Amino acid sequence: MLLSSSSAIIRRISLSWLIMANNSNFKSNRLACSERSTKRARTMSTQSFIKDAFSNYADYLNALNEKRERIVKASRDVTMNSKKVIFQVHRISKNNKEEVLEKAEKDLAAVRDLHISRLVKELQGTDFWKLRRAYSPGVQEYVEAATFFKFCRAGTLLNLDEINASLLPLSDPSFEPLQINLLDYLLGLADLTGELMRLAIGRISDGEVEYSARICQFVRDIYRELTLVVPLMDDSYDMKTKMDTMLQSVVKIENACFSVRVRGSEYIPLLGSSDPNSFLVGVSDAEL
Amino acid sequence: MKSAFRNTHCLTLSRYSLNPNPSILHFVPFIPYSRSLPSPVSRSLPSRSPLCLALFSTTMAGGDSESPVTSPSLEKQFEKFRVQLEDSGSLRERIRAVVMEVESATRLMQASLLLVHQSKPIPQVLEKANAQINVLKDLYNKLAEVVRECPGQYYRYHGDWRSETQMVVSLLAFMHWLETGNLLMHTEAAVTLGLNDSDFALDLEDYLVGICFMSNEMPRYVVNQVTAGDYDCPRKVLRFLTDLHAAFRMLNLRNDFLRKKFDSMKYDLKRVEEVYYDVKIRGLATTGDSVGDQGILKI
Repeated sequence: MLLSSSSAIIRRISLSWLIMANNSNFKSNRLACSERSTKRARTMSTQSFIKDAFSNYADYLNALNEKRERIVKASRDVTMNSKKVIFQVHRISKNNKEEVLEKAEKDLAAVRDLHISRLVKELQGTDFWKLRRAYSPGVQEYVEAATFFKFCRAGTLLNLDEINASLLPLSDPSFEPLQINLLDYLLGLADLTGELMRLAIGRISDGEVEYSARICQFVRDIYRELTLVVPLMDDSYDMKTKMDTMLQSVVKIENACFSVRVRGSEYIPLLGSSDPNSFLVGVSDAEL
Repeated sequence: MKSAFRNTHCLTLSRYSLNPNPSILHFVPFIPYSRSLPSPVSRSLPSRSPLCLALFSTTMAGGDSESPVTSPSLEKQFEKFRVQLEDSGSLRERIRAVVMEVESATRLMQASLLLVHQSKPIPQVLEKANAQINVLKDLYNKLAEVVRECPGQYYRYHGDWRSETQMVVSLLAFMHWLETGNLLMHTEAAVTLGLNDSDFALDLEDYLVGICFMSNEMPRYVVNQVTAGDYDCPRKVLRFLTDLHAAFRMLNLRNDFLRKKFDSMKYDLKRVEEVYYDVKIRGLATTGDSVGDQGILKI
């Protein structure tokens, strides 16, 4: 690429700026205010041409940083409000299950509508991966809250596809919708076990031994499945530390279940006293 | 109505319907059904007593509580994840293979470019280095092809070629400067590498980091040029770096790698200033700076 005369340079550059304009979808439109600047560049010296180019770069970087900032803010709000949902679910006890979960469901929907929707608006195309660091914490927390809620309501794991399906209505159909990626989902799932541990301990002290045993089984399943998946993950460092904490949670629940089993006689009367009505309430839950 | 719903519910959620007739369960709770529990649950919980098993079906976990704990959908989902992650892992390996080629081509380029410090004539140095440009272009094409297999995930794998690309840009920019005395622009760099495709482009931040790397090379070049007797070189380089530094100051950078590299640029500038000072104070510089200020940089 031998550019001998400065006019050749400028011709070359204006050509590449046109290419840049075509590229705008990829790079965001900021870089592509080509026409005007190119004309100006023609009449200016090379040095001010650098300035021109850099002011375009500056625009691009400013736009990107502002966007990132907005996403970080939205992500923080998602985190904060998802945490509240988790706390709400923790308020569960034998008698108030329905109302607690109903409120949690409403709160969760509010997180989705008020805050996740902000992420959805910002993120487009390559942003999902480019800006992942900015929104990942919030999304992980949301995954944690949503799966936690789902477990308490249905006793099953909320699938990634199900979460993503619930996000679809937030986005304009003409745009590519925000879909939580596999990695964030798995990271959120890893955090879920910590919450389940707390829930299990709480339930045991409330006398719901069998529920805790069920949680225990669920957490073990997740741990087991994750051990197979984690080594394949992109940035498995985070995940590895999470796996350690997860194992601790599993052991904690197991120990609690063990204690109850060993001193089971003290709990049996409690179990007997939980009347079948509570089960019937549970049935009507499913129909609601 | 109620029992009908529950029946379908059980059937859709799990193949193992624990209780085909739930209405009985309402009236005869717990124990009687423990023996007739189907295999999945008893297999997954071999150590539990029948009492315990029966209690499982009456937990407060809600309407689905009678479905087996290890649900097939959970396993299926993780199976899917494994496949997806393995796919992305093998894609990454292919990317890394190409990137390694990029790296070795870059090294060849760099090695031939290093001769510039030994005062080899610039056209000769550039000729050898230029030969690698087409190799790099081909490699980036190859890389783009691999990445195109997963549309929209450019930035997922971006880290794998990031530092190599920055290096490439820095060398190209240095060569361009040696040739023309001008800064290689972002789009020019992209065109040179064939990265003007809409789904595989040159990231602007990579370009800027590459330019910073190039600036790091300048002090050494100036020192060696002066040693070889080119006393005018510091002035030209100083002008170029001053302009470049001024241009970079227009950017609002975050506290990231680029910012760090930009901060290091001022030391390059300082070093070049010192060399210029040394040359000038001894009266070695032939063209005075007052005259040369407007001159077009040409080497």
